[in-house]
Amino acid sequence: MIRRTPILIAASVLLAACGSTPTGQPKTELTLYNDKGAWSKYFTEMGALSKQQIDLGMKPVGYTDEPTYQAFIKASFRTDVKPDLFTWQTGGLLKEIVGQKQVAETTAIWQEAIKNGDLSEDVATYYTVDGKQYCVPLNVAYWGMFYNKKIFDKHGLKPPTTWDELITVAETLKKADIKAFYHTSVLFSFVWFEQLLAGTDPDLYDRLSTGKAKYTDPGVVQVMEKWKSLIDAGYFSNPGDKTDPADALKNDKVAMVSFGTWFNTSMTQRNLDAGFFVIPNVNASLPKTSMIFESGPLCSLAKAPDPAASMKYLKWWTTTQAQEKWSSARGDVSANPKVTIKSEVLGQVTKDAGSGKYRLVNRYFEATPPPILTAALDGFGLFVTKPDSYRQVLEDIQKKADEYWSTHQ
Amino acid sequence: MTGRAAPLLGRFRAGYVAPSVLLVAGLLYAPFVWTAYLSLTRYDGLIPPEWVGFENFVKLLDDPALLTAIRNTLMWVAGTMLLPVGLGLLVAVLSYDIRGGAWFRVPFMLPYALSGAGLGLVWSPILSHDGIANKLLGVDTAFLQEAPHNTIAMLLVWTWQQLGVNTLLFAVGLQSIPKEPIEAARLDGASGWRLFRHVIWPLMAPLTAVVVGLALVASLKSFDIVWVMTQGGPGRNSETLAVTMYRDTFVASEYGYGSAVAVMLTVVTGLASYLYLRGRK
Amino acid sequence: MIRRAFLVVLGLIWLGPTYLLLVNASRPPDSYDSSRAWIPSPDMALFTNFAQAWESANLQESLASTALYSVVSPALGVLIGAMAGYTIVVLRLRYGFWWFMLLFGGTIFPSQMLLVPLFVGFSDAGLYDSRVGMILVYTAISVPLSAFVLRNFFTGVAFSIFEAARMDGASTFRIFWRVYLPLATSALAAVFILNFTFIWNDLLFGLTLTQTAEVRPVMTALAGLVTDVYAGTPVPVGLAAGLVVSLPTVVLFVATQRMFARGLALGGLS
Repeated sequence: MIRRTPILIAASVLLAACGSTPTGQPKTELTLYNDKGAWSKYFTEMGALSKQQIDLGMKPVGYTDEPTYQAFIKASFRTDVKPDLFTWQTGGLLKEIVGQKQVAETTAIWQEAIKNGDLSEDVATYYTVDGKQYCVPLNVAYWGMFYNKKIFDKHGLKPPTTWDELITVAETLKKADIKAFYHTSVLFSFVWFEQLLAGTDPDLYDRLSTGKAKYTDPGVVQVMEKWKSLIDAGYFSNPGDKTDPADALKNDKVAMVSFGTWFNTSMTQRNLDAGFFVIPNVNASLPKTSMIFESGPLCSLAKAPDPAASMKYLKWWTTTQAQEKWSSARGDVSANPKVTIKSEVLGQVTKDAGSGKYRLVNRYFEATPPPILTAALDGFGLFVTKPDSYRQVLEDIQKKADEYWSTHQ
Repeated sequence: MTGRAAPLLGRFRAGYVAPSVLLVAGLLYAPFVWTAYLSLTRYDGLIPPEWVGFENFVKLLDDPALLTAIRNTLMWVAGTMLLPVGLGLLVAVLSYDIRGGAWFRVPFMLPYALSGAGLGLVWSPILSHDGIANKLLGVDTAFLQEAPHNTIAMLLVWTWQQLGVNTLLFAVGLQSIPKEPIEAARLDGASGWRLFRHVIWPLMAPLTAVVVGLALVASLKSFDIVWVMTQGGPGRNSETLAVTMYRDTFVASEYGYGSAVAVMLTVVTGLASYLYLRGRK
Repeated sequence: MIRRAFLVVLGLIWLGPTYLLLVNASRPPDSYDSSRAWIPSPDMALFTNFAQAWESANLQESLASTALYSVVSPALGVLIGAMAGYTIVVLRLRYGFWWFMLLFGGTIFPSQMLLVPLFVGFSDAGLYDSRVGMILVYTAISVPLSAFVLRNFFTGVAFSIFEAARMDGASTFRIFWRVYLPLATSALAAVFILNFTFIWNDLLFGLTLTQTAEVRPVMTALAGLVTDVYAGTPVPVGLAAGLVVSLPTVVLFVATQRMFARGLALGGLS
């Protein structure tokens, strides 16, 4: 018995190996590599729906760690393992893989979708490199403020429409011994920097992310001073609190949390009826309210195993039937303006954004090249725990930016 | 060894180590050669690597973050020897010859079963600024924010997780000790500390070398707990060398520089384990 | 008495966080409050929490492959590692220390850096997304620990045992299989447990080297649920998932405790 075991193992192993799928034929099921491992359930549901509607199934291959995922996708360009579909990031990272001629062009899909109202021109900007479109939106999110309705009602507060009103709200909460805003030093340390800068001078924000302005410029320094003054005023929760932001909001630890609309998934999973408002500009004289916009592309390779099937899938993804399902399953908004959004307030935001009411600003995470972003996230993480360090923080980020832009202009 | 056996053995001996060597060389050494090559290039994972010679290593010498990482890594090594290893020895020794001793060790084994992500979920409400540790101790410390508190706090989490493993290996070491020398020493009137120090400790040396050797390597490469709990922050103040390596390579997409950190870390780990194990052939 | 008291007190401290894990994994998902985490909830929701995790992460397909990897690879690793240790120590392989250092060297590489080259190599060799590939990788990872522990364990075994067996005319392999392996049961079990746990909990290699649900290990399905902010998973659901997935390891620990309690193994033999 003992002697036979290794042979049995070897045999079962060989059998397992033979089960792999053949390649080169037209596909009936696509693989979708993604960095949103947590959405597997939703992806699987979409796969079932597409099988039904266009006779093309889809299975997700989820990653959970963004950096490892990106390294994997980049490495796969050099191998025979080709994902049929994969998620990516807008901004510099998209430009980079387009520059390497790895991504299939989707201009035709975009033109048609814009014509029949499935996608908007505004969003197309984020998918355009040198006049051509690549990928389609996997998801979109608008960033704003989720707030605890119970706390607001109890203190007679209303969602603010100007910056001064927002500060009044924070001040009222402070007097009631409630922390107004959630703060963290890990990963999402950039949120307030981005919000304050975009609400003060969105042009400066754009110049900063393309290396045409410096982190040490007076405009940026003033934003950090503004942020520091809010921390000093005691409006923020302690960044050492490691409570999940959704739980912090639910358990009255903070009154407001700034996140993208996808945060609503956390709210629904906790049976919490949270409110949402668009954060007003710091600078009241700006013509439009700046709103942080996030979008994750769904892409196909130029050398995909079955390019026609991948294109067909991307096209289907933008349609209203697909998007209804995709957004309602997660309780999030959609890139397709025709989709009805479950949440009334998020539906309104989507409609307003579609009609050009806001100035959409690309999220800092996508807008900033990875080496600078990494330095900046560490810098802001330090700043929120030691606000006095802001000058040093900006200098350190700028040092990295100088190094980066000297080889990447 | 008898002269007759030697030629026969000679033929098979290499064959006995071959599977191990082939697997380790093919699947662990070979991939690292690529990393070593990348450390001499500038590379973002996409556009083909550009040869830059030792530029990355020169930059290393001049990186203030690296000093912090070295300091933290040394804390991890020292802390690991003191807590998971030292305490593990104590628990193993105290439990090895009492009735049901193995059951006393079960509570220490349980945390080892929990994976990295779960570890973060369990410990955040404890180490959070508004968490249980602060309430129990009646203090107001941001355990995961200030250096060196954060490294110490994470070392305690590490101890919680790793103690059982070391206890287990020490227990195996204690079990392998032959009875006779201990009985003989007992007859001579040795007991307690003297029995341990002069009889048991020398006899369990081979397995002690295993525990210390493994702990040395694992602590030099400390990554998981730091990544889950602080991601090396805030402001890079809890970074270890392995976190620096990961951050530079994959987060910042500076593969060349990150690989240089990896090469340095590997050389240090290899040298440290060689120096430690050489004395214990 | 003092010994027992010390072990009990320390054990209780160790069970503290374990208690938190249990209490919060059994809490209804919408009633988690970290500032009152130690107070048990009157409603028992462990199973509904786990059901929710199971459904979101599609766990059942991955469980079989994870079980395969975490049994086969450590078993193979422990055998061939023990063989290497035996050859180095008992058969006195020439330059044995250097062969040993070569094997031990397998542990010094930071595993994160091996991922991309392994992926590229595996896809060239047709091993990507195959169970053979995963078993190979996990076996390679198990070997250094096994070789290290068993090499050192065998140095403690009297050489006279080997000589006596040779006198009886046993082949070197037979001596290994019939004499040395049974002697080392507790060491083999310890190594198996450690490698089993490592592979069961592995995320890195599982994520990078596999694609289909039948080949992917279970942790890859689970981790996203626990850590990803986009998932919005309530803490109790994440904890329940983590708890249930670590159950096999816990069962293994408890089931094998007897092996380490059996007392002075070598004492009885010599």
